[in-house]
Amino acid sequence: MRASNRANAHIMLSTLLTAASLFLVPALAVFADEAWNVDYHFALLGAPKEETSFFHQPNPSSRASLIYTLSEQHALGAVNPRDGSLVWRQLLSSDGVAYRTSFLRAGEGQDVVISGIGHEVAAWSAADGRLVWTLSTDGPLEDVEILELSDGKETAGAKDAVALSSGANPTVQRIDGASGAVKWQFNIDGSDAPYQLSASSTQIFAILLHKTILGYVKLRVVVLDPVTGHKVDEYSLNSENELSTTENIVSVGANSASPMIAWTDSLYTTLKVNVVGTKSIQSFDIAAHDDSPIEHVKVHAPYHVNSLSHFLVHYQTAASHWADVFHINLKNGKVEKAYSLPKLAGRGAFSTSTSDANVYFTRVTRDEITTVSSASHGVLGRWSLNTFGVAAGIGEQVEPIHAASEVSVKGDTVSAIRTTILLSTGDWVMLRDGKGIWNRPEMLASTMVVTFALPADAATLVQQLEVEAHSNPVAAYIHRVQRHLSDLQRLPSIIVSLPQQIVKGFLGTSADDLTASDTFGFRQIIVCATRGGRLVALDAGSPDKIVWNVNVADLQPGQSREPFLASRIAGVVEVSSRAGAGIQYNATNGQPLAERLPVVPEGPQVPSSQVVLYTMHDGTLEASFNRTPAWAFTPMHGERIIDMVPRPVNDPVASIGKVLGDRRVLYKYLDSNIALLVTAQDSMGTANVYVLSTVSGAIIYSNVHTGVDLTIPIASIMSENWFAYSFTNEASDEASKGHQLVVGELFESLVPDDRGMMGATTNFSGMQTATEPFALTQTYQIPEVISKLAVTRTRQGITSRQLLAVLPDSNGIVGIPYGAVDPRRPVNRDPTKDEQAEGLVRYTAVLEFDPKWFLNHQREIVGVKNVFTSPALIESTSLVFAYGLDIFGTRLSPSFSFDILGKDFNKLQMLATVAALAVATFIVAPLVMRKQVDQRWRFL
Amino acid sequence: MEADDADFSGRSPILRDPYYPSPNYTSSFSQAHGIACNTSEKKPRIAPTCYSPPDPAMYALGSFLILLPVTLAAHLTISIPASPPVLPNPASLPASTHATLLGPPGVYLDTPLTRRNTFEFSNLTVGSHLLQVYARDYAFSPYRVDVSLAATEDGDTERRGTARIEQELIQVWQTFRGNEWSNLGPKIVEGTDSVTVEIGPVGRKEFYIQRGGFNVLGMLKSPMILLGLFSVVLIFGMPYLMENMDPETKAEFEEMQKKSPLTGSQGAAAQIQNFDLASWMAGKSAETESSSGTQ
Repeated sequence: MRASNRANAHIMLSTLLTAASLFLVPALAVFADEAWNVDYHFALLGAPKEETSFFHQPNPSSRASLIYTLSEQHALGAVNPRDGSLVWRQLLSSDGVAYRTSFLRAGEGQDVVISGIGHEVAAWSAADGRLVWTLSTDGPLEDVEILELSDGKETAGAKDAVALSSGANPTVQRIDGASGAVKWQFNIDGSDAPYQLSASSTQIFAILLHKTILGYVKLRVVVLDPVTGHKVDEYSLNSENELSTTENIVSVGANSASPMIAWTDSLYTTLKVNVVGTKSIQSFDIAAHDDSPIEHVKVHAPYHVNSLSHFLVHYQTAASHWADVFHINLKNGKVEKAYSLPKLAGRGAFSTSTSDANVYFTRVTRDEITTVSSASHGVLGRWSLNTFGVAAGIGEQVEPIHAASEVSVKGDTVSAIRTTILLSTGDWVMLRDGKGIWNRPEMLASTMVVTFALPADAATLVQQLEVEAHSNPVAAYIHRVQRHLSDLQRLPSIIVSLPQQIVKGFLGTSADDLTASDTFGFRQIIVCATRGGRLVALDAGSPDKIVWNVNVADLQPGQSREPFLASRIAGVVEVSSRAGAGIQYNATNGQPLAERLPVVPEGPQVPSSQVVLYTMHDGTLEASFNRTPAWAFTPMHGERIIDMVPRPVNDPVASIGKVLGDRRVLYKYLDSNIALLVTAQDSMGTANVYVLSTVSGAIIYSNVHTGVDLTIPIASIMSENWFAYSFTNEASDEASKGHQLVVGELFESLVPDDRGMMGATTNFSGMQTATEPFALTQTYQIPEVISKLAVTRTRQGITSRQLLAVLPDSNGIVGIPYGAVDPRRPVNRDPTKDEQAEGLVRYTAVLEFDPKWFLNHQREIVGVKNVFTSPALIESTSLVFAYGLDIFGTRLSPSFSFDILGKDFNKLQMLATVAALAVATFIVAPLVMRKQVDQRWRFL
Repeated sequence: MEADDADFSGRSPILRDPYYPSPNYTSSFSQAHGIACNTSEKKPRIAPTCYSPPDPAMYALGSFLILLPVTLAAHLTISIPASPPVLPNPASLPASTHATLLGPPGVYLDTPLTRRNTFEFSNLTVGSHLLQVYARDYAFSPYRVDVSLAATEDGDTERRGTARIEQELIQVWQTFRGNEWSNLGPKIVEGTDSVTVEIGPVGRKEFYIQRGGFNVLGMLKSPMILLGLFSVVLIFGMPYLMENMDPETKAEFEEMQKKSPLTGSQGAAAQIQNFDLASWMAGKSAETESSSGTQ
């Protein structure tokens, strides 16, 4: 990294060397024919929120609409209603900051959508997701609305937005729709908390919450002139003694012909409605329809200034739901109940759609969709639903949570209806005229932990073979005969499918035959535990559909859990959480197995190795050995532990040494109880790296980096006898500004054929002998931030390893071959003959990520939090599964597919060659025969 | 503070800027000013998605931030022009295209591509930044963006903290990974307060490698296949050639073949072909065998 002053010459040299090193390293890459077949990807948004999901036409001149949503994971995106594919997406909060509220608005006939989250109001091009403008407010946003002024002259330009922010100086700002500049700003005086904005065609209303001495909430309305931003009026609503919390405010309407505020008392016995702009409050009794208490009340109102001022109130109890439709008389501001929709069992979801001035309400229940007009209760369309077409637990009733619809009405009937529904299983489905069109598994966007499990049928064979291996020969023989007899029952079906299999075997390639049998271990079940308390299983062999999806924890809203997943017994997945007992599930069908497991001890846990259990306690890392405290690592004053990565529990190593080019051996320091610990000292801007022996607690390697930007993720990994970590540093004498990747390898000794202190001992204990490894480290400058590191795993560890790095800025995962970052690459000299034989190339300070190393190639994987790897049954292949927001999985062969015929093996070509040879033999045979006979005659 | 001082004595011209307070000044005021600096610091305005630093870290980074007076005017616009061979139409870039600006520790700005094919960074802090553009299909080279306070005419730097407003000097250089930071590349643009710079992609990313497929021409070019074909031609062609020869040449050719040491009944080739291993093992020569046969 120490460059000479002759900049350009050096640049050229280093670039050339980097390029050269890339060519010399065996090109591990994504093959064009495997790219979209072997890997799979769900581009997810997360659970859509009801108030921020809608249909909107991105191009005002065209009738084609897209579905827009701002999800609970703060991902903003547009989905094509035809096939459910993602058109564009922007992650508005990448670092996991959970915002209380977020807003997404689209003005009628506008080509932008406006989002509001945290301190940022931003306008996005609706068609392609490009940024139009952005504005940050001083305080956190409380509401964003689009100003639909109907002052007779409908302007063609962009409609302005209004934003309400709280904080020290609560303000209302009118934002120019074209440029994002603030047109005017109104500072709200007083200590009342801003709550929401409401806009009619002539006025803007800021609704504030005033806390009375008795603890009740009073609504204060400030009326503003939309043109000047001056206060026109201000009044308080007499809502005392009723509103105790904001949760009872059902709705504050906006952008309708007559916006209104609705609230209930805490027992849901009366509904109070106020038309904004008037002071009168009308109350309606809520009739109890069944024994269960009302869980929530929702108001569904049209979102257009030109629509009829009708609204629907939806009442939900645990067992049933019903709704009332109200009309607002625009002349006198009176609210009248028009009609009721009858009680139906289960949950219901209502959505509002408009067509010109007409308003339609669509009701989705467990088994049907109905559409009514807001004017009368006559059903305009009814479609029965057999099933939503999603995987769910056995006996689980799939319920709609919320819906958004687009209706087209011809005369008195609905000619077509498209409805997107978020289901209780977490799926987001699209129904057209009651038929399922697509299904987006959005619950996977909140995956917290995953595990791989063998399918139960494959697992039973393994178990039976184990039984035979561990019993006496006679019993084993009887067992085997019985097993073979039972296998005979499958013979007829095998014979039937034989011709088909033969044809398939001739035409396809061997890697394609995943459906028939899983000899290679590619068809593993991937079980994901989501934040919503569900277990979702995918098949790595055919990942297009969800295998099963069961609810494992009934969580209250706001309650979080920290599940642990494991598959200790093949074919069985075990889920446990910190508080509760573990439950086992069949990996193939998700059926719970009636087995209870011991409770996991309390306290936050760091992934543990086989013997030693770690807990974090007051910033101190404490290790216990057989449940007795062994040692504690207390960081220095001002130092905090960022991450601790022990060597994986299941980390097979094929060779205890590295064979050099001259056939001598460099012995690896292989200790299953070592861990990499990264700490940060914020005041100094330094990062410390330690390699600990987890048995004795001794530090066997340490390093310190100064000028580190500790706000950027530091990723670390430990495997075999090496470790790697990445960080971002400020420019200094030692290093240039940018991102660094450090790779260190531990050896017993640096002298070949010498085991150093260990000598010829076969056993050694980390407790008794203090052996320190010899470490070789090398730093590479990398082009971008790595947020997470992982390593490929194969069955026996013979295959070379590949370092997997998650690149949040490139939205990808890069697979770095270990040879490219080997710390033994010779520095400042060319490799010798022996080193070349080992595959070592000259060290270069810069490690560029070759686009061919990107496992995701052209797919964009957003928000990856972790990468899970699992060995396949064949040695060459490792299964990779990345989760976070998106789900991505692929198969990797770091040393190429040496034990399987890959796509490059052309069966047809081989058969053609054999056939050609056979034909040639038949043609040539008579010729040769004739010639031999001729020769006989000639010579005798 | 020792480590901090060591960091800031680097060779970067920015860090040797006379506007920076001396290390002594820093250490004595770091606590109080660090906090003040934090509270007055506005959140980066342009970044809907950025690594917003956690509060304790920000607090602790006060010692860094004291060196970075917060400015509100510096504005950098990066525009992506149409660069025909590689990227003829920048409007085709996906919405995920974004640019990041890695500033002093704790400053990491991220802004998405706008509808005008630009990236807008406003309210840049004084310091040295690494600018990188990320697009799915295109590679961009890194740039260095330095924001510094322009020298005032009287050269009075001590009164910076008062109400005076200075202009920010923005300089953009191309930079190369692997070189020390003080090693500046070619300067792209320099300006005050608001600067626009055009950055085009350096190339298209090639994600895939094609497998070497079945290639008839390539196979025919291989020397082994050529040799094989030649011998096939000889085997099948020679008899026809022989038949079509006129009798004189034919006779001549046969004569030549008989004389040739390789061919003919006594030729080397014939001898090897008719080699009788059993008789050779028994120590019998062809002559003795034939003589014994006549007896």
